[in-house]
Amino acid sequence: MTSQSNRLRDGGLIDRAKTVRFSFDGETLTGYQGDTLASALLANGKKLVGRSFKYHRPRGILTAGSEEPNALVELRTGARREPNTRATTIELYDGLEAASQNRWPSLKFDVMAVNQLFAPIFGAGFYYKTFMWPASFWEKVYEPAIRRAAGLGRAASAPDPDHYDKAHAFCDVLVIGSGPAGLATALEAARAGARVILAEEDFRLGGRLLAERYEIDGKPALDWVRAAEEELASLDCRILRRTTVFGVYDGGTYAAIERVNDHVKLPPAHEPRQRLWKIVARQAVVAAGAIERPIVFGDNDRPGIMLAGAVRTYVNRYGVTPGRRAVVFTDNDDAFQTAVDLADHGVEVVAMVDARAMPSVKAKEIAAKAKAPYFANSVVQRVRGRQAVKSVDIAAPNGEVHRIDCDLLAMSGGWNPTLHLTTHLNGKPVWNADLSALVPGALPPGMSVAGASAGQFGLAACLASGRLAGTEAAKACGFKPKRHKAPKAADESTEASPVWQVETSRGKAFVDFQNDVTISDIKLAAREGFRVPEHLKRYTTLGMATDQGKTGNLNGAAVLANVTGRYVGAVGTTTFRPPFTPVAISALAGHHRGPDFRPARLAPSHKWAEEQGAVFVETGPWLRALYYPRAGESPQDSVNREVANVRTQVGVCDVSTLGKIEVQGTDAGVFLDRVYANTFSTLPVGKARYGLMLREDGFVMDDGTTARLAEDRYFMTTTTANAVKVMQHLEFCQQVLWPELDVQLVSVTEQWAQYAVAGPRARDVLQRLVDPGHDISNEAFPYLACGEINVCGGVPARLYRLSFSGELAYEIGVPARYGDALIRAIMMEGAAFGIQPYGTEALGVLRIEKGHPAGGELNGQTTAHDLGFGKLLSAKKDFIGRFMAARPVLADANREKFVGLRPLDREARIRAGAHLVPKDAEATAKNDQGYVTSIAYSPSLGHWLALGMLARGPERHGEVVRAVDPLRGEEVLAEVVPPCFVDPEGERLRV
Amino acid sequence: MSRPLASVSGLAGLTVPGSYGAKVGELGVTIAERTGLGIATVAACKGKSEALKAAARKAYGVELPERSIVASGRDILFIGTGPGQWLAVSEKYANEELARELAGRLQGLASVADQSGGRTVIRISGPRARDVLAKGLPIDLDPRVFPSNGAATSTISLMGVQLWQADDTPAYELAIFRSLSGSFWRWLAASAAEFGYEVKPG
Amino acid sequence: MRIKCPYCGERALEEFTYRGDATVKRPRSLESDAAEAWTDYVYFRHNPAGLHREHWYHGAGCHAWLTVTRDTRTHEIVAVEFADKREGT
Repeated sequence: MTSQSNRLRDGGLIDRAKTVRFSFDGETLTGYQGDTLASALLANGKKLVGRSFKYHRPRGILTAGSEEPNALVELRTGARREPNTRATTIELYDGLEAASQNRWPSLKFDVMAVNQLFAPIFGAGFYYKTFMWPASFWEKVYEPAIRRAAGLGRAASAPDPDHYDKAHAFCDVLVIGSGPAGLATALEAARAGARVILAEEDFRLGGRLLAERYEIDGKPALDWVRAAEEELASLDCRILRRTTVFGVYDGGTYAAIERVNDHVKLPPAHEPRQRLWKIVARQAVVAAGAIERPIVFGDNDRPGIMLAGAVRTYVNRYGVTPGRRAVVFTDNDDAFQTAVDLADHGVEVVAMVDARAMPSVKAKEIAAKAKAPYFANSVVQRVRGRQAVKSVDIAAPNGEVHRIDCDLLAMSGGWNPTLHLTTHLNGKPVWNADLSALVPGALPPGMSVAGASAGQFGLAACLASGRLAGTEAAKACGFKPKRHKAPKAADESTEASPVWQVETSRGKAFVDFQNDVTISDIKLAAREGFRVPEHLKRYTTLGMATDQGKTGNLNGAAVLANVTGRYVGAVGTTTFRPPFTPVAISALAGHHRGPDFRPARLAPSHKWAEEQGAVFVETGPWLRALYYPRAGESPQDSVNREVANVRTQVGVCDVSTLGKIEVQGTDAGVFLDRVYANTFSTLPVGKARYGLMLREDGFVMDDGTTARLAEDRYFMTTTTANAVKVMQHLEFCQQVLWPELDVQLVSVTEQWAQYAVAGPRARDVLQRLVDPGHDISNEAFPYLACGEINVCGGVPARLYRLSFSGELAYEIGVPARYGDALIRAIMMEGAAFGIQPYGTEALGVLRIEKGHPAGGELNGQTTAHDLGFGKLLSAKKDFIGRFMAARPVLADANREKFVGLRPLDREARIRAGAHLVPKDAEATAKNDQGYVTSIAYSPSLGHWLALGMLARGPERHGEVVRAVDPLRGEEVLAEVVPPCFVDPEGERLRV
Repeated sequence: MSRPLASVSGLAGLTVPGSYGAKVGELGVTIAERTGLGIATVAACKGKSEALKAAARKAYGVELPERSIVASGRDILFIGTGPGQWLAVSEKYANEELARELAGRLQGLASVADQSGGRTVIRISGPRARDVLAKGLPIDLDPRVFPSNGAATSTISLMGVQLWQADDTPAYELAIFRSLSGSFWRWLAASAAEFGYEVKPG
Repeated sequence: MRIKCPYCGERALEEFTYRGDATVKRPRSLESDAAEAWTDYVYFRHNPAGLHREHWYHGAGCHAWLTVTRDTRTHEIVAVEFADKREGT
């Protein structure tokens, strides 16, 4: 175990009393409570933490925040392994296990680093240019090879064992970021009485104040942070730590991810690992700070080269020095503060390199204070050291080169406001020449920006803009803020005159560290015509992957601007889209995984069916019994038995899943006449009728039966699949088309448990269930009769004499709370008559044998005429779809129409989806005359049969066609027959 | 003939009384099924709204609400669920009885449909009740926004729900579709576990 | 996007179903010379860049059909009314 050799003797917001043990690449190390993995690695002198994406170059830690492009690790192991996790945001916990990525066999010796030797061919557009031929090689050879060679971390292959939560929150003011601007905003808004949510990505409030040694009101700024935190806790402010607001959506909707238990080894029992927040805010203030820019120069990716602000973070917040001999290389005064902070902690600052043409007075002062040599108008021209910086060559304006030994290079090319959230709704950032940065442009309604995000870089400016934003947001929500004393602070220098890149430097000059995009890649792309940032991104991968160019994008724009003779602002940047930082799929799924992927609707007989060993199938949102296998039966055996039993004895099937709608009111009949193609106003009370519903374009939408229970009360059924759609359609007709009608619609799908009892013995079974006094004989209760009755001693029920199977059949409905008991009663009473349950598969076979159209035929492309229902189309009234159904093209005799198909070879099986072609014609698209919609093995007939749509089908009964299945390479000769195979006269259902 | 049919709750076998989830400090939520309630939908007939309101006033001493709130009448709650539509809930007029009662009294003024078998009603109360509901319900239940007689028709975790506030403890009652009882219960148990919850007998 | 339902209050987009142009009128005539009117009604829609009156259905809420006036360029919603203005009468 190494001691924490780079830990400073004192200072930092860490708890030195709490030592934390962790491992990196199998080596056990220690850090302190309050560390990140990055700060702990640096404390232990670990500079090399990863290999780059394409060239496998050694990489170290660049930043101290979520913008980190290099230090990506696999966190945790086994099923909890998370790839591409930023070491800079991982809170250290006892037992943490992390591993470096994209290296083999080890981080220090990586075989794939040979890619660097081939760098010239790995340039921009490399994949597009190289792997062109042959096409089939792409999937089989090139892509797998590239994926192995260039890649990020490995996702876990086992299911994620943790629980992920979702939650909604509402507030007046959402404050995004808890730096000086965010805290000031939250304070003002909450003091005014607004409901505030303060979301902070970090585990501590304070933002940049945690990393600097600023003073507010003459005291350490952290005192002010502590006081603000306490005050907010006493006000109506929900503080969400470890929470990243990652997306902005219309109507003041924000998505955020809270890492509830990422900072512990395992989430405590019953707690989620992460929580996805959907926040609706009347006002939002983006106070997300700023991200420092690297400078683009040769070998600027070597471990030990770090952003200057990040160095200050490690020194001040974590009490860690990333090096012992530091060089600061910058083009702004702010970064020289790093020299002071290092020097104050006893770190030797061996050079301050100022790239600006004009020497800075302020920089000179700092140099004197830090006792560091100051190189004005100079650049770092060369970096020595592969796995860690060993020395740098500084080129002075007079041509002299100074080689200086160092192990840390702190660089800064200025700061970019973190404005990503302002662009998610298509806001375009604008160029601010004073800051040399893009600042937020037009903002979405209800959003404002404060502090560094708004380009207010100085501390006093941050506090002031935060106070203003908080006050204004509260006012916009109708509150009347009072004036409060302003915190006093100084503004540090925010002067900026960026150099962007060092033209004269040697070695690969990286613009995008994560994607290994260099200056030469961008130049090449520009030469080849990719001059727009969006194109440049796709061609070079600049700004792709997990960091989305947070550190590199603007530098890339600057290089492109330089090559194409424009200014940076004119080039701009790509559009930022959600998420701001990567979000785990598990968090987006939340509760909706496995059996809860979506809610399952269970029929009233579900529990009973489970007890019978039923196999279930998803039908829309429902789980329905597919078949009820007995011991030793194959699925086909079971279905055959169930079908045969309905044809010869009696079966029972749960049909509760059909959509059920009560249509009430004095105009209910008129309304039904208008929504159905056929007529219902003439239907006598106590009768049911098959109804066909068209869409307004004349095609069939749905079908079902509707029963008239009273003069002004109908009971409609729809197909299971279309229940919701039909209700929506009916309510459109009711509310929009004919609001003058007195008709009320209510879904009663859930209220009624409904069972079909079908087969020659159906009446015998029902006789034993209905209460005395109800005559259900054929004479008193003929086919299509319906009525409200009582069963099993007073239970209210509805009985319909309907048949989908073609047998004598009833549907009986009881309030759903009796559904479980009724199926048990039906089975008990039916036992003497050989009753067996049948599932949806048998239901399908029975209807195919009878030639009833269902889902396969009601496919949105068929008309009433096509399905043989032309005679249902009433000519006496207007109804939805009437006019368009009469279009000549829909009445064309050549259209594909409903037929039955019987294989000539009785052993052969016609396949669903097969195409129908004339017997002797080639199977080409030109000869395609139709398709097979439904198939079944018919136990009643002893062979396979099919239904389909065939051009001029009804005229071709007796003709032989070929059913061609090109997917399986099968062909079956089939005779065209009428669609009804069993009891075409319908005698059995009327007995 | 079969003996009288047993009434079975959609939550049968799921709601086992006891304490569940995290056991830290104060109990977060209490969950109880409400069984045996009469539940019915009431929809005003065209042009009969005023007459219907007068009839409801007379019969139940209630002003039928024209927005998403719950109004307590004699023995019946009326929850506004849509323009000219209400969900009626009653303990006294149990199960199918409520629809019969309402249909009788409001004949010609409103269409009534029994829903007593088609809904599962769950009462969720306790200091963390709002936090549990926030995990699924996209509605702001904060007392400054949601009145103490507030109601809402919405979804929880993709499942349709009708919710009304029962008291200020706070307690909420939720009517969900019977067929979704199992899925809803799994969501509720997963969401409440963090706070600790007690299942009380219905 | 959030839509302020006149009955339920402001709700998230997921509760609503979009239908489209609310200004088209279903023709009354069934005579053959009405073909163009029917074709217009069933198939043809304007696609304005700007304010658009459109039908939305609050299926997860009060089941009301709404007429929403929305700016198609910004998703700003200017007005929401019941499609059936006689509602409640």
